[in-house]
Amino acid sequence: MTGRMTLEEFEQALEGAGYITEREDRIAVTVFLAVQLGKPLLVTGPPGVGKTEIAKVLSQVFKAELIRLQCYEGLDETRAMYEWNYQRQLLKIQMQRESLKEEDLFSEEYLLPRPLLKALMNKEQSVLLIDEIDKTDAEFEAFLFELLGEFQVTIPEMGTIQAMQRPIVVLTSNGERELSDGLKRRCVFLHVEAPSVAKEVRILRTKVPELPERLALQVAKAIHILRERIALHKAPSIAETLDWAKALLLMGREDLDPAWVDATLTLLVKSEEDVEAFYREMGAEKLLWEAKSLNAQGASMREGHHHEHHHQ
Amino acid sequence: MSTTISELDKHLVEFAQLLRDFGIRVSASEILDAMQGLTLVGLEDKHHVEAVLEATLVKDPNQIPWFQEAFRAYFASPEAQKAWQEHSEKQAAQWQEKLGQTRKELRFQERDLDLTEEERALYAQLPEAEKERLRQFLERSSHGMKSGIPVDHAFQPMVERVVRGSLEYWRRKLGEDFPILPPGSFDGVHSEVEEAIRRRELEFLSQDLKKISPEDWPEVVKLIRRLTQRLASQISRRYRADRRRGGLDMRHTLRANMRYGGTLVERRYRSRHMGRPKFVLLCDLSGSMLKYTEFVLQFVYGLSSVVSGIETYAFGEGLVRLTEKIRSGQSFQDMVQEALPAARGEWGGGTNLANALETLMREGAQVLSRRTVFIILSDSQTLEGERAARYLANIRRRVREILWLNTLPSRRWTEVHAVELFSPHCRMYECYTLGHLTHILSERLG
Repeated sequence: MTGRMTLEEFEQALEGAGYITEREDRIAVTVFLAVQLGKPLLVTGPPGVGKTEIAKVLSQVFKAELIRLQCYEGLDETRAMYEWNYQRQLLKIQMQRESLKEEDLFSEEYLLPRPLLKALMNKEQSVLLIDEIDKTDAEFEAFLFELLGEFQVTIPEMGTIQAMQRPIVVLTSNGERELSDGLKRRCVFLHVEAPSVAKEVRILRTKVPELPERLALQVAKAIHILRERIALHKAPSIAETLDWAKALLLMGREDLDPAWVDATLTLLVKSEEDVEAFYREMGAEKLLWEAKSLNAQGASMREGHHHEHHHQ
Repeated sequence: MSTTISELDKHLVEFAQLLRDFGIRVSASEILDAMQGLTLVGLEDKHHVEAVLEATLVKDPNQIPWFQEAFRAYFASPEAQKAWQEHSEKQAAQWQEKLGQTRKELRFQERDLDLTEEERALYAQLPEAEKERLRQFLERSSHGMKSGIPVDHAFQPMVERVVRGSLEYWRRKLGEDFPILPPGSFDGVHSEVEEAIRRRELEFLSQDLKKISPEDWPEVVKLIRRLTQRLASQISRRYRADRRRGGLDMRHTLRANMRYGGTLVERRYRSRHMGRPKFVLLCDLSGSMLKYTEFVLQFVYGLSSVVSGIETYAFGEGLVRLTEKIRSGQSFQDMVQEALPAARGEWGGGTNLANALETLMREGAQVLSRRTVFIILSDSQTLEGERAARYLANIRRRVREILWLNTLPSRRWTEVHAVELFSPHCRMYECYTLGHLTHILSERLG
């Protein structure tokens, strides 16, 4: 299913599924590479820039089931990989006390597959999303090596289970913890930053088609200023940009003005500390003024990427 | 499989080697991935080639700027590479010539003096009059007499000590403002990448804070924000992970053992949280320290979400509390203007840590508890070192930990007696760049 696509077709498919990419962000080419090489894709970047969305859109593009493992501290293999169905095993022991053999108890029948095993045992290709891998402990990461490298797992009581169909694996990380070299080596790497103004306008126009282009541009510029120039603990995510745009649309706004920024600020800035920082460092009027004087093309996707270098 | 090495293979291996030289670990399997990726995507579009190499060879966001510069330089036109090569060779030649010149000038009885390259480079940067003075000194002492007998080469070590002492004096006087580092790599592509990186944000991590120019501040402040955000989330994670075992938790034990039919196989324990630390910051307000203090304050306050409070004091001759001023959002410059007279006292005396610690123990004793991480930011140049060390020892018994962020480079610590006095009572770190600061706090706050 993933075999015969060219890069151009893949880019079109992403766009068709509503996922906007730019040449500069390299998302399309890197994801294409991971899928074609059959390697896990490791996506890093700040929260809210569309990392998880990549897995969702891949499942859409390849019409594959999305299997999600949300990581957290203390996650272990019984939650991530498999667990034995103890109740059933106990029942079986009670019923066949005399004639029971050990291997009867450790067969697929008594196995409760968790997301990782589910993805391997799926007869159809699936997309496996291992979300926020940096939240787990280092031991769990090591435990994933076999799965990510060979697409197989070993269950001591049963032996090795090979993937029926190699899943497309996407791992995401917010960089809370340095990941091990072993894990990184097994993956294709993609770093996603907050979108440029131009890209965010395109996202807005795709997701909220009724939004007038002029307002979309104002919104994207204001968000860009919020992200770049104010010391917020949590910068607004793309989802929050969309919420804001929808709210403005709902209230029939055609232009941004300071009063409306004040009224709707809590859709973007969600802690008291950040609200204080916003008013201390900028305020609505200055935000709009700075947004107005911002050149849409000047705000680059990857900071320093367009860094021009002149050497004598 | 073909045994001949294609041009592409050769370039890939060479490029991987270049990345390794800049500290990016690239394994053979990753080179293989890159190769497969290029075969898949094609070589026509340079942008795609860069994306493929980045996706397969780089695995850490911090390494991306290095990768980008290395890619740009390695795949630049032959003309550009030739120009870089000539430039770096010229620089290297100039450096060598400078050192060679000092060998001609700094001689004692026709013999070379035993000086390091750094000392020679420093000499080369001295004002001409000072150079002349040193040369005359060497000339005179070469023909000097002692008790009526001409001095011989046995006096050379003594002469060298005098020269070194004089160079040391000048290094301090020039405030180490003159870059006395040898030129980077002699290889054109290498030195081009190093130079480009130096011009980029990453350089701020390894640049002496005092030397960051005012126009770079906004960038640095942004960088500090990013660093502290990352560090704060790391720290809060560690506090959550670092749970000491408490007593047996019956309810969870029973629940966990339901799966074994109620037989107690596993035990569950209550977890005990370790409290968040409280920071007490004591910053040196002497002139040379102001810039450092400003950055460290920015940095430490960026961590306020993961500590249970920050108390800030500044000291000069005396002690001043800054906590309220910082809370009220006063600018650093105004704060210093107000605090300076109080900290410096009426007599304009020198920096005195002992006085500051004494006042702190008397008036602010409540902020020093077992939860306190006491952070001192100072170059350790203070009056009454012995008395200060005694107070420090006393405070050490009350707090969780004392971190001394010393802005003096560690290679110069042996020259300052106070360092020896203070080190037994605190963890002293060399700290004059953002890189140092990030590293220390991430290591110590676990």
